[in-house]
Amino acid sequence: MTEPIITTPLRERAAQALGDRFLHEALDIATTKFITLRREAFGAFPDGDQLRDRARAIKEATLQRLDAHLETLVANVERLGGHVHFAATAEEARDIIVDIARRTGARMAVKSKSMATEEIHLNDALQAAGVTPVETDLGEYIIQLAHERPSHIIAPAIHKTKGQVAELFSRELKRPGLPADPEVLTKIAREELREKFLTADLGITGANFAVAETGTVVLVTNEGNGRMATSLPRVHVAVMGVEKVIPSMTDLAVFLAILAKSATGQKLSVYTTLVQGPRRPGELEGPDEFHLVLLDNGRIAQIAGTLRESLYCLRCGACLNVCPVYRQIGGHAYGYTYPGPIGILLTAMLNGPASVKDLSHASSLCGACADACPVRIDIPRMLIELRKEVGERRIAPWAERVVFKALAFVLARPALYGLAARLGRVAQRPFVRSGRIRTLPLFFGQWTRTRDLPPVARRTFQERWRDV
Amino acid sequence: MSDHRLTSEGGAPAPRRPPARTTKADFLTRIRQEMGKTRGLFSATASERPARPGQRLDLLRRELTERWPQTLERFRAEFERVAGVLHRVPTAADVPAALERICRAAAARRVVAWSADELGVAVAPALDAAGISVESMPGGGVSDTERGRLRAVIAEADLGVTGADLAVAETGTLVLISTAGRPRSTSLLPPCHVAIFDPTALVESLEQVGLALEAWHEGPAPPERGAVINFITGPSRTADIELTLTRGVHGPKEVHAIFVDGGLARHG
Repeated sequence: MTEPIITTPLRERAAQALGDRFLHEALDIATTKFITLRREAFGAFPDGDQLRDRARAIKEATLQRLDAHLETLVANVERLGGHVHFAATAEEARDIIVDIARRTGARMAVKSKSMATEEIHLNDALQAAGVTPVETDLGEYIIQLAHERPSHIIAPAIHKTKGQVAELFSRELKRPGLPADPEVLTKIAREELREKFLTADLGITGANFAVAETGTVVLVTNEGNGRMATSLPRVHVAVMGVEKVIPSMTDLAVFLAILAKSATGQKLSVYTTLVQGPRRPGELEGPDEFHLVLLDNGRIAQIAGTLRESLYCLRCGACLNVCPVYRQIGGHAYGYTYPGPIGILLTAMLNGPASVKDLSHASSLCGACADACPVRIDIPRMLIELRKEVGERRIAPWAERVVFKALAFVLARPALYGLAARLGRVAQRPFVRSGRIRTLPLFFGQWTRTRDLPPVARRTFQERWRDV
Repeated sequence: MSDHRLTSEGGAPAPRRPPARTTKADFLTRIRQEMGKTRGLFSATASERPARPGQRLDLLRRELTERWPQTLERFRAEFERVAGVLHRVPTAADVPAALERICRAAAARRVVAWSADELGVAVAPALDAAGISVESMPGGGVSDTERGRLRAVIAEADLGVTGADLAVAETGTLVLISTAGRPRSTSLLPPCHVAIFDPTALVESLEQVGLALEAWHEGPAPPERGAVINFITGPSRTADIELTLTRGVHGPKEVHAIFVDGGLARHG
C-alpha cells in the first residue's frame, strides 16, 4: 500500500497547477508533441490496429493463466541462476531489497527508471538503510536532485525549464555557472553518472516485460542506463508487478512493435535489453547475483476485481498525453505515484477506492484515453465503476449521494421526469443568465463553482416529440 | 472489488515485526483464489508459437538471401532515421580500412573490439599498424583480475567494435547476443560504436526477430551463451530537458555499421 505524496485536496492542487503558467505551457508542448509523434508512428504502420488487438488478447490470456505463467517464469529464472522473491505489499518489497543490499554490503545503488520502485517508495528505505540510491534516467536524476516527484510516466521532468535544470546542477553538483543548454547539461549528467555506474554495488531496475518461457526480464530505455545498471554492478535487482509476465518471445515481438510507438512515437526505443540471470562463465561483465522481486501490492485482488483490465497496462503514458484533464493540471496534481487516467485506476488498485474519492471525477469521460491505449483498456468504464463504488461505500459526501439517488429515481420514471422538467423550467428562472445557469444556491453551488449548467429547454424533446 | 485492501495504512509505520516472508506457495495460492472467482473478460489466447523455430529460421534465412539488397536498403533508411551511419564494403578484407576511416573521423585512438573469431574478420593488425591501439577481447577463461583490467580498458576506450547477430530493416535495429569474447559494454561504454555485419544478419521485421528469439531458445542454450541480448536502435538519446533531443547521454553518441557484401567468416 502506498501513501499519498501530497495531502492537500485535489481541488487546491488542481487550482495551483492551473495557476502555474510555465507548467501549463510545458505540458501543452510536451503532450502535443507526444500525440503527434504517436499518431505519425501508427499512421506509418498499417498493422498497428491488428497488433493492438493481439497485444490486448495476450494480456487477457496471460491473466487467465497467471499462476502457470508465473510458475514457469520462476522456474526458468532459477534455472538460469537467479533468485525470485515474492512481495505481498510495498513494505515487504522494500524489506526484501534492503536485505539484499545489507547482505551484499552495498553502499550505493544505481537505479534505472522504474515506476514499480517509485510505487513502493524504495529510495527512502534504501537511504534509511545506509545505501545511497542514485536515479540514472536523466529526467529522474533531475527530479532526485531537486527532491521532487516525477510529473509524467515517461518524461518525469517536463515541468522544469532548462534554466531551472542549469541552476539545479550548478548548485547540487558544485559546478557553478552552467549554461541553460540541454546539450551541456546532458554531458554533465553523463560524466557524473558514469562515475556512479562504475562504482555502484547494486543495480536496481524495473521490468517492462518478463518472458516466462525463457526466464527473461526485458528492459526498454533510450538512454542506456538500463544496460549499465544490469551489466556493471555486482548485484542486479529487478522489481516487477506480477502482471508484467508474458508467455513467450513471440508475444514479446508483438509488444515491442507497439510500446515505443505509443510512448514516444519511435519505432523501437534505442535499447531493448533482454536479461537472463547473472553473468555466465566466461563473460566479462554482468552481475554475480540476479534477483527478481515479484510484486502484488493490490494487483492480485484485482484479478477478479473491477479494475482487472488495468492489469493490461504497459505504462506507456499515451493516455496521459491525450487526457484533457492531465493536459491542464499535469502529473503532480494527481498526488500519487501514477498520474493521468490510468493513474487514477492504479491509485485505486494500490490504495483502495477511498483514495480516489475526488480523483475518480478528474476525468471528463471523453474516451480519448481508451482510444490511445495500445491495449485498448476501457478506462472510462472503470472510472464510472469506481465512482459508483465510491458512492455505494458512502465515501462520497452525503449531499452528492442524495442528489444522485434522487436523480436516478426521477430519471427512471418518465411521468415524474416530465413533471420535474416543468418544475425546473420555473425554478431556474432567477438563475439563467444569457442562456446558461452559472450559479446555484445552497450546496448545489459546489457544482456550478467550476461548471455552467445548460437550462431546461423552453420545450423539451419529449414535449416536441408528442406533437410530431 | 474485494475488501481486504480498503483500510488505509496511513500514519506512522507499524513497529517492525520479524519478517514472515511471503512464500511462493502463499503467493500462487492467493493468485489461484482470485482466478477462481472469474472466467476473465473475454476468451483469449496468447500468440501461437512456431513449432521447430530453428528450422523455420533457417528456411526464412534462405528466403531472405534472395532479396537481401532490398532489405539492406530498408535497413539503411531506418538506420539513418535514428542517426546511424551505414558504410558498405565489398569484402571482409576492406573492413579494416573502413574502420580506420571511422576512427580518424571520430579522433579515436583507443579501440576495443570483440575477438576476431566473433567478428569474423581481423581488424587489430591493420589498425595497430595505423597507430590506433586495439584491445581484442579474449574468448574466455579470464581471471577476476583480468576481468577488472579489461573493464577499465573498455571504460576508457574511444570506440568499440562489435558484430551483429541481426540487423532489422523495419526498425533500423542491431541485435547483439553477449557471450565470452563479445562483452556487452563494447557497444555501451565507448562514445562511438561500430557494428560489422553481412547479408546473413539481415531480417525484415520485428515478427522475424520474434522467430529468431524463439529459435535461439529452442532446447538447452549453448554453454558459451551470455546472459544478455541487446537490441540497439541508434545512438543513446534523451529528451528529458525541455524535450530537446540530445544524443550520447549514457551510451554512445555515434553508432556506425559496416556492411560487408561478400560476407564475413562464419563463426561457431
